[in-house]
Amino acid sequence: MPLITTLPNPVKSNRVVQALALAALGCVWLLDLGVVQPNRIVSGTGYGLYASTGWLGTGAVISLLVVVFVLATRPAQKRFQVVAVVLTVALMTLPLLLEVLARRQLPEDSGYARIGVGAGFWSLAFLLALMLLETLGQLKASRRFQLSTVLLIVAGWWLCASREGLSSLALIREYSNRSDQFFQALTVHLSLSLGAVAISAMLAFALAVAMVKRERMRRPLLGLVSFMQTIPSLALFGLLIAPLGALSDAFPFLQTLGIRGIGWAPALLALIAYSLLPMVRNTYVALMEVPESVVDAGRGMGMNERQIFRQVKLPLALPVIIEGVRITTIQAIGLTAVAALIGAGGFGTFIFQGLGQAAMDLVLLGALPTVFLALAADAILSALKFQETSK
Amino acid sequence: MRVWLAPLVLIASLCLLAAWLPTMTPFFSWVEPGSDNLIYKRDSFLTLLQSHIWLVLVSAAIGTLVAVSAGIFVTRPFGREFLPLVSQIASIGQTVPPVAVLALAVPLMGFGEKPTLFALVLYGLLPILRNTLAGLNGINPAVLESAKGMGMSSVQVLLKVELPLAGRVILAGIRTSVTINIATAAIGSTIGARTLGDPVIAGLVNGNTAYVLQGAILIGLLALATDSLFEAVERTWARAFSA
Repeated sequence: MPLITTLPNPVKSNRVVQALALAALGCVWLLDLGVVQPNRIVSGTGYGLYASTGWLGTGAVISLLVVVFVLATRPAQKRFQVVAVVLTVALMTLPLLLEVLARRQLPEDSGYARIGVGAGFWSLAFLLALMLLETLGQLKASRRFQLSTVLLIVAGWWLCASREGLSSLALIREYSNRSDQFFQALTVHLSLSLGAVAISAMLAFALAVAMVKRERMRRPLLGLVSFMQTIPSLALFGLLIAPLGALSDAFPFLQTLGIRGIGWAPALLALIAYSLLPMVRNTYVALMEVPESVVDAGRGMGMNERQIFRQVKLPLALPVIIEGVRITTIQAIGLTAVAALIGAGGFGTFIFQGLGQAAMDLVLLGALPTVFLALAADAILSALKFQETSK
Repeated sequence: MRVWLAPLVLIASLCLLAAWLPTMTPFFSWVEPGSDNLIYKRDSFLTLLQSHIWLVLVSAAIGTLVAVSAGIFVTRPFGREFLPLVSQIASIGQTVPPVAVLALAVPLMGFGEKPTLFALVLYGLLPILRNTLAGLNGINPAVLESAKGMGMSSVQVLLKVELPLAGRVILAGIRTSVTINIATAAIGSTIGARTLGDPVIAGLVNGNTAYVLQGAILIGLLALATDSLFEAVERTWARAFSA
């Protein structure tokens, strides 16, 4: 009996994809696929799958889900390959559903009318993505394969979004109204979060090396950086306003540099403070975990301490350090969005402006790129870490 | 008993400060000279504190319940198929910034406490779920075998062996989740929830540093008090199970 339970369970049927397909059927049945809004503030009327896309679209979506459901009943390699291809194509062309909705339901004479994306569309996209994730997992797809699938889907959405038929999508309307601001926000967002990560990486490296050399400094330093991590972002941003404001009042030349109580300066400071904990902890752990025997071997080869650090310890510690950079970058991208509240700019500006004006698509224009940036940073740095580990 | 000293002091000073901040006008007139509006008055700080704590508590309770049951479900034989997907959701989900989850809840549910609570529950689930999985999967299989060998049923193994052993890791997950949620709930005041973020937001909008400070100090203190409370619970737990 124990022998059998420790062996990997041969999967008989894949209930996961089937459960997700059923959930997707329920979602498209119950939730609105899209919303037709007379202008950007009014919430508008929702349309379900059938009302939006007629027999053709409804038939396509339902037969897709049924086909996936049936194919997934037996976990044969070939069947899962078909399912993966079908799901990828479906995800790539999903925005076309909204285009059909625009063509059928959008009043032609009104220049302000727009299509909002409904909960049904989002849940369908999300559940299809989960099914694809599970299928790729079952196929034991390589990282490169997974990444190219994601890129294919992104490219598909990009192509759909640039078509004339989707220009009435509210999200695209908001974007084309402020495409300059959008790229400015992207620049600010990236430079703030990546700048904070770069500065804190250098600081953290120095701190970690100090902690390795002097064991006594470990507790107070780790205590300090984890104390800062505990303070909620809004509070830390707020607490930095008064001292920085006082500083720039006292030294006017700081104002000419743009250092004030609000703006990028307190944001950058707070972001650095938050980035320190994951960075210091990972760098310290990575440097400490290099096995003593490897270091001894280096010494035996006649390396001096500096060579050992550069050629032995650092390369071995690199994957764990990169993991620290990954966590920090993701966190910094999210916190930069909050920093818009103190006037730092970035995508958070759209989020909070949109919330203030009750313009939901402006909120989306800020929130979706933030999520996308975080996911992209995660993918890139995970790939980097994987590459370093497998060296 | 010494471990409880820090949280008690912090909680006491949080409550006292929330009650006494309105009487500290001299200090705030130094921060914001030449202004008549020195103290945030739309709600009392105690009300805001209470509603902030309430939001975090409710979301932590729901989040723990859902995450731990989901974690148990996918580690049982009948739910094991779902394990890879669920653990992937838990790790990919944590990549999404909490403020984005908060913002995305508004188009779905409108403004107010409801979308805030929804976002807090959804986001707070993930660290608890991840730690539940790590805790349950990290148990030495030999321990489970010997528990079965002693004649325990699978429910008994779960309740008397697995959950107590995984408890510390799960508790650490709840701690992470609550820390994030205190911060996210503060931002929740931008979508209409009544929290300690209100004075900060009002101060930022009106350019009143005194309001900002009042909110920020209380939020910071709340976070520190909660964190030290968890620290004390974790230490007590560790002592109870190592003895």
